[in-house]
Amino acid sequence: MSAPTYEPIVGRYLHLELLGRPHRLYVEEAGQGIPLLCLHTAGSDTRQWRGLMNDAEVTRDFRVIAFDMPWHGKSSPPAGWQAEEYRLTAADYSAMTLAVADALALDRPVVMGCSIGGRIALVFAMEQAERFRAIIGLQSGATIDPYYELTWLHHPMVHGGEASAAYVSGLMAPTSPEAERWETLWHYMQGGPGIFKGDLYFYRGADGDIRERLAEIDTRRCPLYLLTGEYDYSVSPQDTQAAADRIPGVEFSVMPKLGHFPMSENPALFLSYLKPVLAAIKARG
Amino acid sequence: MVRPAMPLPTLPLESLKQRAADDALLARFGRDLSLRLIIGDGELDWLVEIEHGVVVRVTKGPLVMPRTDLRLRAASETWARFLEPVPPPGYHDLFAMRRYRRIQIEGDIRLMSAYLFYIKRLFALLRPGEAKA
Repeated sequence: MSAPTYEPIVGRYLHLELLGRPHRLYVEEAGQGIPLLCLHTAGSDTRQWRGLMNDAEVTRDFRVIAFDMPWHGKSSPPAGWQAEEYRLTAADYSAMTLAVADALALDRPVVMGCSIGGRIALVFAMEQAERFRAIIGLQSGATIDPYYELTWLHHPMVHGGEASAAYVSGLMAPTSPEAERWETLWHYMQGGPGIFKGDLYFYRGADGDIRERLAEIDTRRCPLYLLTGEYDYSVSPQDTQAAADRIPGVEFSVMPKLGHFPMSENPALFLSYLKPVLAAIKARG
Repeated sequence: MVRPAMPLPTLPLESLKQRAADDALLARFGRDLSLRLIIGDGELDWLVEIEHGVVVRVTKGPLVMPRTDLRLRAASETWARFLEPVPPPGYHDLFAMRRYRRIQIEGDIRLMSAYLFYIKRLFALLRPGEAKA
């Protein structure tokens, strides 16, 4: 039997005001150097980044930071939540992320988001280029094909956690390790009622469709990297390519044998695609 | 050059009952499930009857006015790709097929959502080597 070990990841609770209300937010990090702020997918939490934070080669040069969005993971919903329907908007998502970066006094961090985080990465590239050293979008698309009905993700007659997990389960590559795939699904099963659906509010609505605005992105102000797993059908490589075609200077690559949750469904393979990007960012200084 | 026509191996539904027996994931996610499921493989419909999470009967069509809860139908070419040990992107999952409009899903979508892990597993068991020998 091997001896018990700790991971180098350290988590704390941050109290700050977001959108005019007090919040208690769970933040974790590992490493030192260039701040790398990571945004989890809709309906999940920071555990998706465990592989990145546990990689010594990454944490040697990067301070990897992730936070559970309000209502997610170990972050609480704001007081009074019981009388509200959670609905994320692009403006709120952006404002909360910037507020956390400010609260942690991050100096021009790299921001990396996946799925809804990949969408907001594009929004940052349009609106906040000066704030970031580089922007990395995983599974980034400017819009999404509404190929399924959201009703059943939050319904008294359906277990929302199991339904949400089952809805997203096929988004991963069939070749990803079984244990990592089911770990990824467990996070979805643990999501709060209606939270996955609420995250998709901006993502699937008119608020989130940024196709016509992509030309505003100037990659000379901030480099933009897009990486998309080939098995993702929510944001397929073709969807990211359609966005990339409108952004001069963007660096886009397809990640074979990965799906919608690259950092979580197969961390080792994901890191093989990410490390050259991080090396390029480090080289730029 | 004339390319040989793609073979059309249909879903091996005649063996579904055996494949589903004692499957741990079906047991885990099939609690209290009763479902009359039509699976369409090209022009051929099959009726799968599930009681308390157990596949009790599989009937090959043509079916005469069957009573059903849920109907999932796709072309045989689509199912052939779905059945590959490592299916290509877009054919590897029922919802992937839905995204690209390769499968028709109709019926009690609430029931399907509640038992989606079970239903996806049922189809995955049709792949070679997936079911316990």
